Amino acid sequence: MPRPEDSSLPRLAPGCRWSGDGENRMLLIPEGAMRVQGTGQAVLEFCDGQHTFQQIVDKLQSRYDADADKIREDAAKFLERLREKRVVDF
Amino acid sequence: MSPSPLALIAEITHRCPLHCVYCSNPLQMAAAASELPTEDWIGVFQQAGKLGVLHLHLSGGEPLARADLTEMVAAAHAVGLYTNLITSGIGLSEPRLDGLVQAGLDHIQLSFQDSREQAADSIAGTRAHALKVQLAPLIKKSGVAFTINLVVHRQNLDHLEEMITFIESLQPDRLEIAHTQYYGWALKNRDRLLPSRQQVEDSMHVIAAAEQRLAGRIRIDAVPPDYYARYPKPCMGGWGQRLMLIDPAGKALPCHAAGVIPGLIFDNVRERPLDWIWRESFAFQKFRGEAWMPEPCRSCDRRTQDFGGCRCQAFLLAGDASATDPACSLAPGHGVIEDELLRANSGASSAMAVEDPKEVWDYRTNPGRTQQPGQH
Repeated sequence: MPRPEDSSLPRLAPGCRWSGDGENRMLLIPEGAMRVQGTGQAVLEFCDGQHTFQQIVDKLQSRYDADADKIREDAAKFLERLREKRVVDF
Repeated sequence: MSPSPLALIAEITHRCPLHCVYCSNPLQMAAAASELPTEDWIGVFQQAGKLGVLHLHLSGGEPLARADLTEMVAAAHAVGLYTNLITSGIGLSEPRLDGLVQAGLDHIQLSFQDSREQAADSIAGTRAHALKVQLAPLIKKSGVAFTINLVVHRQNLDHLEEMITFIESLQPDRLEIAHTQYYGWALKNRDRLLPSRQQVEDSMHVIAAAEQRLAGRIRIDAVPPDYYARYPKPCMGGWGQRLMLIDPAGKALPCHAAGVIPGLIFDNVRERPLDWIWRESFAFQKFRGEAWMPEPCRSCDRRTQDFGGCRCQAFLLAGDASATDPACSLAPGHGVIEDELLRANSGASSAMAVEDPKEVWDYRTNPGRTQQPGQH
């Protein structure tokens, strides 16, 4: 399964959308819901088809001030897993 | 204090053009004349939104048989509910689909009975397969999330691979492969539906291979056959824990089949608010939690995982809704499952010979237009 490339435009897959705010914020998916927090949520909030994977990594790096390679690796793995679950496309 | 329900199943009608031999509707269906009017359903959806329900599953019967479906979807969407249409597709046209999507429909679950037309129509008791094949590209084009649901059983498991390849060509986002569950109509037809152990084992390999091959394109969710499991299914995520079902006439049930359990009283949304029914009503409290549990459930480590299994199955197979689900290998009543498995695995060929389907199956009937005495 290919990982996102720098120019990929990750977006929520059909039938996946946000619901609620703050602590109640959840990602609704067909037949279920996912409560995502922390960096996971930060990544997914940028998966709007407007930000490239590179831009998402940049934004996370400036927000969390962590090693860029580690952020890239973690975010790629995260998106790859969610793509297998048909929650994101890229 | 019970948590809020996560999902509401609205069986908005029991009318259906199909007569599937494993239909999940009760044998005693709600008559057309008893169906809730549009405004009552919308009121239910608004209450559900306030109660914290996330998903609304519009089901039936065939929900498209209601001319006001689009209006209902719009109303549910307006209160933030995730709307899922569970359909045979019969009654769907391109304009109607566009209208539903514009009204905010999030997801369509289209059923297929088989990849082979004749076999599919034989299960559905009517010619529906060709129409479904035509609908799939329209649904795909509309952009709405698209799941195909395939019920598997003794008659079609031998060509599961072919069915998956066929469904792959229709390009859904998701494929649900569900082993038949034996309630109502399926229980009547169990002898012809219950697969052999070999079929079940083969199907697990086929599904695992397909999951790998289709990863990233089609998500596969499989519902295993509980007769062949060691422990029972965590039915509905626990009685009165996650889900409520409203039947066409407004009766609120904890699951599809709960109507078979004698002595339960089901309150109606025409008379009671939804949150009262969820929190206080007799039917929803009856098997909530662990107080009702007999041994071996009561002291079992798995009681928080599978909740003693299914209450309806306990009644249907053991004659006692408070018994451990006979599907559990630890249940005192497990013998009835073993007897069925013995029958299903005793030599007879799994494929059905060419016979008149009407003489072989008990087809799902349709509800009358008006209430019959003794119904409900």
